[in-house]
Amino acid sequence: MKKLIKITIESIKAVHAYKLRTFFCILSVALGVSSISIIVAAVEGTFKQAFDMVNKFGPDALLIIGGGEEARAFEFRAKTITVEDVEALRQSFPGAYSVMPMTFDMNVQVSYKDKKYIVRLIGATQEFTSSWAWYVTDGFDFTKADIDEQRNTCIMGSHVAKELFPQESPVGKYILIKQIPMLVIGILSSRGITPAGENLDDRVVIPITTSMRKIQNETKYVNIVRMRFYDQSKLKYYEKDVFSFFRQRHNIPQGDPDDISIISSKMIYTFLAALTGSLVMFLGTTGIISLIVAGFVLANLLLLSVNERAKEIGIRRAIGARKIDIMFQFIGESVIVTSAGGVIGYAISLAVSEFLTRAANFPIYFSYKPFFAGLSLAWIVGILAGLQPARKAADINPIEAIRK
Amino acid sequence: MSLCEMKDLKKTYQMGEIDVDVLKGINLRIDEGEFVAIIGASGSGKTTLLNIIGCLDQATCGHYILAGKEVTELNDDELSAIRNEHIGFVFQSFYLMPYATVYENVMLPSLYAHKRKHRFEKRAGELLSIVGLADRAKFKPNQLSGGQQQRVAIARALINEPDLILADEPTGQLDSKTAGEIMNLIVELNNHGKTVIIVTHDQHIASYAKRVIEIKDGVIV
Repeated sequence: MKKLIKITIESIKAVHAYKLRTFFCILSVALGVSSISIIVAAVEGTFKQAFDMVNKFGPDALLIIGGGEEARAFEFRAKTITVEDVEALRQSFPGAYSVMPMTFDMNVQVSYKDKKYIVRLIGATQEFTSSWAWYVTDGFDFTKADIDEQRNTCIMGSHVAKELFPQESPVGKYILIKQIPMLVIGILSSRGITPAGENLDDRVVIPITTSMRKIQNETKYVNIVRMRFYDQSKLKYYEKDVFSFFRQRHNIPQGDPDDISIISSKMIYTFLAALTGSLVMFLGTTGIISLIVAGFVLANLLLLSVNERAKEIGIRRAIGARKIDIMFQFIGESVIVTSAGGVIGYAISLAVSEFLTRAANFPIYFSYKPFFAGLSLAWIVGILAGLQPARKAADINPIEAIRK
Repeated sequence: MSLCEMKDLKKTYQMGEIDVDVLKGINLRIDEGEFVAIIGASGSGKTTLLNIIGCLDQATCGHYILAGKEVTELNDDELSAIRNEHIGFVFQSFYLMPYATVYENVMLPSLYAHKRKHRFEKRAGELLSIVGLADRAKFKPNQLSGGQQQRVAIARALINEPDLILADEPTGQLDSKTAGEIMNLIVELNNHGKTVIIVTHDQHIASYAKRVIEIKDGVIV
């Protein structure tokens, strides 16, 4: 072991001596490694974010939205879920511990004194906060009475609160929603911005009864039903059952499309994977190509260096270096060069992903993983590139090498 | 006591179809503490003999016993170990590592040795004093004169405490005054008990040795 360390020190000296030729190798390994590190970090970041989002969404939850898949493109959804449907769902799915109807209105203007702000208006029951695990940080949650009595109360997202009430506490104040005064009873905790760019704190929640009667002028339909189930592992069967439940209830003939769509945690993973996929493809190709190029350049430089240093090798052999010692030295030189490239590449990747995060709100998460992934790739390239030159060096005949 | 012993040693090179006999039956015994010069014209086989003595090359047939070991049967790794332990080489062109310091050059053979390092460190300092370069330890070879470089090479040859110093035209690239100084250093080493073999074509250099062996057409004359 001591001997290995000593020979490694020899490698370092040689790398230092031939610094010019190693520069491009280091650069090209750095490029490859930085690409790969970013990939690993992006994939890790995506999974971490997906995990976060699934936890917020509820890993055991289904969101049933009125209107089929086609309607989605028009930003307008047919209302197909009735209040009776919701009650029937509750009866038919004893596996669900929560079935909550919701209304949803995009781009609703709310105002307080001279301040106006456009929000998403949600109508929900007192189950809203528990169903979304999204709690009130300031003020109070809805009570059953708020819903039953169609009270003009609301809880608002933290961003809305900041926009309308920059100085004071909103709790206890009246805001106007579609000209109707609503009492702010609580503020929701902050949830931030999704990768799709949607600000989750941009919403105001009112009792669903109030929303239907006073905002939507509606007695029959709701927009959304949120269900949560005891057994998370059976979620995909529940999803199928919900689809067939609605086909049956709404008498949809075979071959016609569904009149509802369902969002589940599975879709969140799919969405984020698609988002990350293109980056992974692009950087993966770049990274692997630059690593291969780096490997070939390095191998050629080392072969050149072996020819040039035949005398040195001859001397080392004459004073007692074994073939394996010579091989180790040259592979060592190769690995040192690529390791330097790896470390520099990691630094580059940190800078680039800082930029990506800021510019594109991209989910990148740096742990020890991308560092070790990059470094082990650099080592593999170093060993592979060094193998042939090292073998050539070890096979140099010392007698010929030291002949004058 | 015998250090090197060769019995009916032959070396044949294959040059395509033709076999060339370079050494045609060498019988030679060199005892500990001897100072031997091997002389001969170029093509006489003296360099081949030196390579075999130095375990860089192996005989085609015959026996070579070095420090009690039969060398003819050893594999490449074992030969490397023998060279490291028993032989110190001094070359005509010094062959120092250009990017390493004087001290690092002297320490180089210890890299491939199995003994403890701190002993070598102490010894490297002593050897640099012996060859008169204690104040040049941190220098690079290109900052030294030819004679000084050869002194470094001699210190390097001695670091592993070899039984045998093999010098191949050690003064070939030096002016006569420096050559004399180097030869005096080698004589000094021999006076302290080191066995030395030098190979040269120069009669004057050979005259420093206590015993001169002339080789001609692959045999000792």
